[in-house]
Amino acid sequence: MTKVDTLLEDTPGKEVLLLANEAIARGVLESAVRLVALYPGTPSSEIGNNLARMAPHLENFYFEFSSNEKVAMEVAGAAAISGARSMMVCKGPGLNVAADPFFSLAYVGVRAGMVIVVADDPSMWSSQNENDSRYYALMGNMPMLEPADPIEAKEMLHKAYEYSERLELPFLLRTTTRVNHTRAPIIYDDIPARPETVSFEKDPFRFVPVPAVARKRHPWLLEQIEKAREISNSSELNFFESSGDFGIITSGVSYNYVLEALSTMEIDAEILKIGMSHPVPDEKIKELLGRHERIVIVEELQPFLETHARRIAQLQEINVTILGKEQDYFPEVYEYTPKIVMNAFSKMMNRESPVDWEDIEDTKKELPELPPRPPLLCPGCPHRATYYAIRTATRGKAIYPSDIGCYTLSISPPLETADILFDMGSSVTTACGIARVTDQDVVASIGDSTFFASGLPGIANAVYNQHPIALVVLDNRTTAMTGHQPHPGTGLTGMGEQVPGLDIEKVCEGLGVRYVKTVNPFDSMADLVADIRQMLDWIRENQAPAVMISKAPCALLTAAERRRKEERPSPYYVDEETCTGCKRCLNRLSCPAMYLDTETGKAAIDKDLCNFCGTCVDVCPVGAIMQEE
Amino acid sequence: MSSNNRNTINIVISGVGGQGVLTLAELLAKAALNESYNVRVGEIHGMAQRGGHVVCTVRIGPMAKGPIVDEGFADILVGFEPVETLREISRIKKDGHVLMSSHIQYPVAVSMGKAEYPSIDEITSNIEKLTSNITELDAMNLAKEAGSSRAMNMVLFGAIVATDLLPITKETAIDVVKKKFPGKFEEINVKAIELGFSKVVN
Ligand code: SF4
Ligand code: SF4
Repeated sequence: MTKVDTLLEDTPGKEVLLLANEAIARGVLESAVRLVALYPGTPSSEIGNNLARMAPHLENFYFEFSSNEKVAMEVAGAAAISGARSMMVCKGPGLNVAADPFFSLAYVGVRAGMVIVVADDPSMWSSQNENDSRYYALMGNMPMLEPADPIEAKEMLHKAYEYSERLELPFLLRTTTRVNHTRAPIIYDDIPARPETVSFEKDPFRFVPVPAVARKRHPWLLEQIEKAREISNSSELNFFESSGDFGIITSGVSYNYVLEALSTMEIDAEILKIGMSHPVPDEKIKELLGRHERIVIVEELQPFLETHARRIAQLQEINVTILGKEQDYFPEVYEYTPKIVMNAFSKMMNRESPVDWEDIEDTKKELPELPPRPPLLCPGCPHRATYYAIRTATRGKAIYPSDIGCYTLSISPPLETADILFDMGSSVTTACGIARVTDQDVVASIGDSTFFASGLPGIANAVYNQHPIALVVLDNRTTAMTGHQPHPGTGLTGMGEQVPGLDIEKVCEGLGVRYVKTVNPFDSMADLVADIRQMLDWIRENQAPAVMISKAPCALLTAAERRRKEERPSPYYVDEETCTGCKRCLNRLSCPAMYLDTETGKAAIDKDLCNFCGTCVDVCPVGAIMQEE
Repeated sequence: MSSNNRNTINIVISGVGGQGVLTLAELLAKAALNESYNVRVGEIHGMAQRGGHVVCTVRIGPMAKGPIVDEGFADILVGFEPVETLREISRIKKDGHVLMSSHIQYPVAVSMGKAEYPSIDEITSNIEKLTSNITELDAMNLAKEAGSSRAMNMVLFGAIVATDLLPITKETAIDVVKKKFPGKFEEINVKAIELGFSKVVN
């Protein structure tokens, strides 16, 4: 049975091992959601991947990969206003992109349930910052639920729709990487039917927040948040558990670490587990604060619950010691582990830690230094060829603004073609700024998915203001980093339909870029280098932006395609006789499939890893790399 | 609250992105769930998959709540590669079991001559600072013998089951793999599990 079949099964009561993201996709069915729109982003990606596979098998269901998060928020928001349950999904930084519609949506509210799933990434496993989306809930006046594990993720999704409809407000469901990417046994519920059609009922003095309308909606919103606070105080999502000499307030994945730490250390404490983290359950917190002399707050990232607890203690004039980040018991950065919680408990209680971590630390110091193994561009990655050419053409002297995607990995030596990065689409715009104030060559790179997500306004800006920048679109025909989702250029929709893909070359021409050229990075390295030099010459002469589209499918797609067709290209190898051991291939190209044979002192190719791109052949100055006949 | 943490079995799987670490973790958990145990799997996605270092955790038992296995808490450490085994060694509990594949995959820093790859002897003697309970096998060779270099994770699956530390039988393991990958790889996968299993049993 494939994963899709499993997720579509109408077998209430069945227990299935699922990733939280898969459980959320399943929850979409069980909550009769009619429309889901999202832009993929790790750690939320598998929600969309699974929904895209499920969508063609479902009636009255629509799924789309939107071109970016702001677009997704607007599509899903409008559906919920029309009366159909909807969902929008993004990663933490994605909510920043969607912040504009997010705030307005809270003002106008919705008619059917709407859930915004936001996946935060403590420890920044795959994000450029570590923002804590709970503050969006606070600032945007939007209620938020926060599951601790995959089981709660699905349960809370159902609750979120119920509450959302009761309050006519969208609800945030905030997960974190350790929830998204945890697998646990999930029990299936019923799959209700989805409504066939809904119709938009006009109410412009609610749904068009011109100032006069918005002024009335803000007090309404605050009233709804007060109602949400009542829910928070009575909801079983915020519950007390066990008893002991002190109290603990915790939420999200930290709750598990608290349970594990208490069990391992044999400590008794009363826990208030917060599942609805905005608005916080003031009454329940007050109760707990009143019952104990000491309260410990365990939560990742910023002191959100901690600040609320201190606020409530002050308002209620409760004299209680609140221990948390403010006294340095817990860190404000990175994700938590049971060890962090156990260490904090040990310190607070003057107890020995259950494991001799100091001893482990000492042993660790004795271990030899290990060679690092950071993530890299894959063997056969078309970006490697393009970046090699860019560096060669510019002798490493140009400025290289980068963007969000696999290609940011080119920051590492020897490619070193990522000099500045803010967010999605910033390659183009930062290039503009640099080109205006320096006289250096600027060669920016952006992926195909990012191009459509946030690159377009930057290109319009570059054309309009005549910024002399080179933009290389690394078109690998997919959104590779987050797991190979389609985008407007690929011609595949979220519903699994083939449609005409947008042509990046024509789009650039349509935006007024006068120099546009498409190349295949695997054709000829010498030509590619010459093409880049020519483009830079053109820019210097014309003082305007130029675009090069370097087009070749992602190496992982190529490999998968080859496996499907059972093709076996003849392998590449280094001819030992010819190879001079100059290491140019290793030091300049760094394909992970190549290594130095320490016995011979010559380069060699690992045949299990090689992806047959042929780039190394062009890089060797003496022609020692060949393909078997 | 009683201390039933001891009933929880913690497994750490360490390897290189693309070697099949995630799949192995999922299969282990599925097998345990089939035997009616509570499980949690912690995975790494995204950046770490691009040829970088990848760690997954599998926890089996009633107190398995969160996905993380901390330093000093792993009953079993499974390494797809010698250096990647040593990289996670501090997670092993005293006298825990280390299962290591000896096939080397050089990090690019080593290929470029910017870092050195320690000798296998050095790696083993360092592991021994924390536990003497080490099983070594060349999962790559055995995978190729089974019919595909991509079946390393299946070899290791067989090897883990053979240690007898988990409540999973070889039959359940094979069953779970057959369900997950029906079709043309079935034979290769089953053979890989058998090879890994018998390597450890003997
Ligand atoms: S670039 Fe050519 S000659 Fe130099 S080490 Fe590589 S294969 Fe050998
Ligand atoms: S070894 Fe050469 S042909 Fe093979 S993937 Fe690397 S660069 Fe491409």
